[in-house]
Amino acid sequence: MRVNVTNLTFGYDYRTVLKDLSFKINSGDFLAVIGNNGSGKSTLIKCMLGINKVGPNQIFLDDVDIATYKSFINIGYVPQKFDDFNYEFPITVNEILTASNISNITEDSKLEILDKIGILELQHENINNLSGGQLQRVFIVRSLMNNPKMLILDEPTVGVDRKNVEAFYKTVNELNKDGITIILITHNIHESNANYSHVLSIHNGEGVFQEVERGDDE
Amino acid sequence: MILADAPFIVALFDYPFLRYALIAGLIMGFITPLIGSFVIIRRLSFIADTLSHFSLAGLSIGLFLINTIGMDFIGDPLYLAIIASVIGAFIIEILRGYYQNYKEISMPIVMSLGTALSALFISLSGGWNSSIYNFLFGSLLTVGDEYLAIISITTASVLILIIIFYKQIVLVSFDEQYARLVGIKIGRFQFASTLILSLVVSLSIVTVGVLLVSSLMIIPVAAAMKIGKSFRNTMTISIIFSEISVIFGLWISYELDIPPGATIVLINILILVLVVLINKIFVSKRIKQAQKEIQTK
Ligand SMILES: Nc1ncnc2c1ncn2[C@@H]1O[C@H](COP(=O)(O)OP(=O)(O)OP(=O)(O)O)[C@@H](O)[C@H]1O
Ligand SMILES: [Mg+2]
Repeated sequence: MRVNVTNLTFGYDYRTVLKDLSFKINSGDFLAVIGNNGSGKSTLIKCMLGINKVGPNQIFLDDVDIATYKSFINIGYVPQKFDDFNYEFPITVNEILTASNISNITEDSKLEILDKIGILELQHENINNLSGGQLQRVFIVRSLMNNPKMLILDEPTVGVDRKNVEAFYKTVNELNKDGITIILITHNIHESNANYSHVLSIHNGEGVFQEVERGDDE
Repeated sequence: MILADAPFIVALFDYPFLRYALIAGLIMGFITPLIGSFVIIRRLSFIADTLSHFSLAGLSIGLFLINTIGMDFIGDPLYLAIIASVIGAFIIEILRGYYQNYKEISMPIVMSLGTALSALFISLSGGWNSSIYNFLFGSLLTVGDEYLAIISITTASVLILIIIFYKQIVLVSFDEQYARLVGIKIGRFQFASTLILSLVVSLSIVTVGVLLVSSLMIIPVAAAMKIGKSFRNTMTISIIFSEISVIFGLWISYELDIPPGATIVLINILILVLVVLINKIFVSKRIKQAQKEIQTK
């Protein structure tokens, strides 16, 4: 999926968070977004997903203005926080994934994704009994359902143990090789084995966008 | 009411009104926890109470129009309760849009309006009488064909809607943001579910009365939540609890000659207390077991 952000300015109430931000990536690119706490990284992707409402002519996905978007189903999104999820009522991992399977991928593909992310054995667990890192991985699995053309990951591996972090980025790199565009927000860009092609560094709401040499991917 | 000279089972065969009451109770006992689950997940437990108080306004206006003004063509004040409940739901939705950050403000406003209107029209129609007693505590023992037909159709339609839109309902209930992302129209959805809720609330007034409607929806689910392993499992358990309370509630009400609404809800509470206690005992047993295992190692 191609992404074109042009002169994006966005703020909450009276404070401007993003100032005249522009960047452009192509299908199959891998963008790492970095910046200090509160610099506006999460705000940027919430704008791209229509969660924060922005005016027309600022964000285009596959050359379509998102102001006209009705569904973002072809974007997999792992939010930084899961505050919006209603916990406490019993529901299993499988039940929430089945409900999320809007584009009806097969049971086998679902199991395959669960296995890839390493939580196949948690399928029938009640969501409320999972640890933070396990829950994070459930939402990672969900972002991979519905055949995404782009993945937006907001610090997806916070709370995930090191072994699984490595496995996760290996999967992300593979998906990227298959042509899925990746946007990854991260704080430790050097620690992860993510094979990114572009870096957007946000500082005080202003962005510096760079293309970088891709690694050989191990 | 009748004296319990025959055992309940025999009486069920002898008296059609008891059979009607049981069937109506079982139908409402099925649909209310089903709706109640989604109400609880969305943290709207208070909405049922609000709507039932608003329905009471409809009932009182109905009573006034029929008894005092003489508009007999209305037939059953229940129809006005349904209309009032739907209107109440609309007002709640409008107010919720109006106070974006304090959505719950809409509830006390609508509830007090409903209560005030009820008081006004109850006094206009001659004050306290047996119909009002029935509104407050239910009149399961006097239901007729018409009521059975209405609740059967409603329950069947709601069940079909839940089956068709199961994925969407679960997504919107558990994770509204994700539901929005995948393109589910939340506004429309909310509207439809409020409408259904108001319908079920006004219909269950006949079963347990205005004062107990929300407990019929909430308590079986509250008990099931504590032991359910999955979403479906929890819903099933809540329906079983609810049906148990209907059967035994009606039985005890027949034997002791007290309003069934009260006994049904009291049994629901009893089940809740038992579940909480048994759950506690289980947990502490498991911990003791684990401690023993550690000591023997
Ligand atoms: N919903 C909101 N309402 C008002 N202000 C907000 C809201 N969300 C974020 N902000 C503010 O916008 C600024 C950017 O927040 P944002 O969450 O985008 O930062 P971030 O770069 O993702 O930080 P972090 O690394 O901590 O995740 C912060 O100053 C924050 O306080
Ligand atoms: Mg953030």
